[in-house]
Amino acid sequence: MFNRRTLAVVKRELRTRLLSKSFILMTTLIPVFLFGVIAVQTFIYKYEGDEKAVLHVISESEEIISDLKSAFEESDYVKSGSIKVSFNASGRELIMDYVNSIKKDLLDDKITGIVFIPKDALKDKKLEYYSKNPNNNSLFNKIRETINKVLMDEYFAGRQLSNEEILFAKKNVDFSGFRVSKEDKVEEEGVGNQIVSFLFTFLLYFSLIFIGTIIMRAVVEEKNNKIVEVLLSSLDAKELMTGKILGMSIMGVIQMTIWLLPVIVLISSTWFMLPPEFTLTISLGHVGYLLINFFIGLVTYLGLFAAVGAMFDNDQDAQSGVWPIMILIMIPFFISIAMQSNPENQIAKITSMVPFFSLIVMPARMTIIDVPAWQFILSFAVNIATMLLIFPIAGKIYRVGILRTGKKPSLGEIIMWLKYKY
Amino acid sequence: MNALEVHNLRKTFGSIKAVDNISFGVPEGSVFGLIGRNGAGKTTTIRMIMNIYLPDSGEVIFRGAKIGQDFRDKVGYLPEERGLYKKLKVMETLLYFAELKGKTGKEIENKAYKYLNKFELYDRRNSKLEDLSKGNQQKVQFLTTILHSPDFLILDEPFAGLDPINTNLLKEIILELKSQGKVIIFSTHLMDFAEKMCDHLAMIDRGKIILNGSLSEIKSKYAQRNVSLNYSGDISFLRNHPFVEKIEDYGNSTGIRVKDNSYIQQLLRLLIDNNVTINKFSANEISLHEIFIELAGKDDTNILSKEVNNV
Repeated sequence: MFNRRTLAVVKRELRTRLLSKSFILMTTLIPVFLFGVIAVQTFIYKYEGDEKAVLHVISESEEIISDLKSAFEESDYVKSGSIKVSFNASGRELIMDYVNSIKKDLLDDKITGIVFIPKDALKDKKLEYYSKNPNNNSLFNKIRETINKVLMDEYFAGRQLSNEEILFAKKNVDFSGFRVSKEDKVEEEGVGNQIVSFLFTFLLYFSLIFIGTIIMRAVVEEKNNKIVEVLLSSLDAKELMTGKILGMSIMGVIQMTIWLLPVIVLISSTWFMLPPEFTLTISLGHVGYLLINFFIGLVTYLGLFAAVGAMFDNDQDAQSGVWPIMILIMIPFFISIAMQSNPENQIAKITSMVPFFSLIVMPARMTIIDVPAWQFILSFAVNIATMLLIFPIAGKIYRVGILRTGKKPSLGEIIMWLKYKY
Repeated sequence: MNALEVHNLRKTFGSIKAVDNISFGVPEGSVFGLIGRNGAGKTTTIRMIMNIYLPDSGEVIFRGAKIGQDFRDKVGYLPEERGLYKKLKVMETLLYFAELKGKTGKEIENKAYKYLNKFELYDRRNSKLEDLSKGNQQKVQFLTTILHSPDFLILDEPFAGLDPINTNLLKEIILELKSQGKVIIFSTHLMDFAEKMCDHLAMIDRGKIILNGSLSEIKSKYAQRNVSLNYSGDISFLRNHPFVEKIEDYGNSTGIRVKDNSYIQQLLRLLIDNNVTINKFSANEISLHEIFIELAGKDDTNILSKEVNNV
């Protein structure tokens, strides 16, 4: 199957693709895009908090009011002006009157809300919040700590406790994650691996769809432009498809390697000291596996994309016919994303050894947890077997479809193609 | 000696018999015409010769061996439906298609330059195909067919869509290649071209060969009682005349078939006696067009009875 004609096709694919503007653009733009997404997310998150809020804090106790005043004044959000707070002392029986008296301002967003701290709060810490938007969690998260601190100070003030004891009581529990692996040392685990796992998932997903769509369109174009008949007078369909897929797969691996260069540099050199929470505990082996796995994945999926391209003679029909393959890429992508919050997820564990899914789930999974060797080998074997099974089937569909013109083939017809003697 | 032999080829698509038991031979050094109207089965036959379609049954023998990759490397194929990569440059296109045929290196580059000069495309060698005029794209397409010096050329409707200048250019090249001893098969539905260029032909209709042999033999067989006439005046008196079998008007000329060879001299006299001005009177001549109409221009039942093989 691999001979000088296939090689000629591989060379042409590489020459035209690697030097094309779209390849250079994509290779540079994807990292920019990726960081852009993170930046935009952070910005939106921050921006939400930056919205000016005007709060009226009402308490039944004058003493609490004065403590709150000083506590709020020291807080970052009051200092930066993102929350304006005014204070009032008032009894429980008057609170509704108060709400009604400024109802118009509340509805017009001139006042964001009223925080009522009843006397009982010193026993049960139950507060009341009156607003147009009563479940404003981002606001609660900001002011919770301040109010809690004041209430605790007030609570402990009457008791004979040392400052140390009070500090301890105020302190929340703090988890440090340690990764237990086969290696002797037990390392403190940061979010670095999670980020890389997410990166792997995203890049695999994106690349498969992106390169898949390119090859599908190229096949449709060759079919539509009638080039394919000229080509088939020189080499047979299998050689042509093999050449195209190999060329595109090599291109994909080169692109992926470029994208992963920062990760490779980070894990293979000691020049860059990452803050401990971002420390990576993966090795070059992980990256190597990802690349080999990606190559197998490309050959498998590109065969399918090429087969779909051969079924149709225009882009629109091909786009609408490609959804089963898209689903085969999207489901493992979502499983892989869901796995980020719970790496021991059973679905992730099983799908990391299921045909097609394993191509995306396993590389992400192995960066978060230590995968047992047997699972690893099984997954790899499944991938190879899938590739060896899919390639001839895709080849057959490609061979028959590529010279077909006219109406869209039905599923039944395509199954018939598999039985054709061609 | 036949360079290529086609034995009992059959191909069906669903319920349609595209090619139904076709056999013919293409002699060495000949220009061979595969003629028939659109949809007759020419392209399907050619695709089976090219190994693009696998025949349901039958085989194609090239110089004593079944066709395979060896044949593909030696053949230049110009399909009916043409196409090239629009974004690829002229020179890259030529070299890529030559590489697929196993030809690379300086030699083929120089040859490409030579051809580009000849076809007045040298200045456009670094242009993308999509920036070329349609006529120039067709020239490039043809160059990809012949650049690797094939021994064997298969041209499917080569003249379709060509302007007169390119048509002449192509004709010249075909004759030049013929003089180099290459075998050329071309299919066409244009009988005039076939008549001017082929020395052997096979006529296909509805998937079957209805005529096969050398052009001169075919013509002499069909021409024996035939007169080709250019005239002005009135020849309606010939209708229902006792020694005229039939008269057919082919536009440029009128074909008259007499019932016996000996009547031809009498026919000439009869025309002169009736004051018909004769511009051209050729005895024993028949155009391919006339033969084709005679064989294929009838309804189905007639064609079956008139099937002729290996004249």
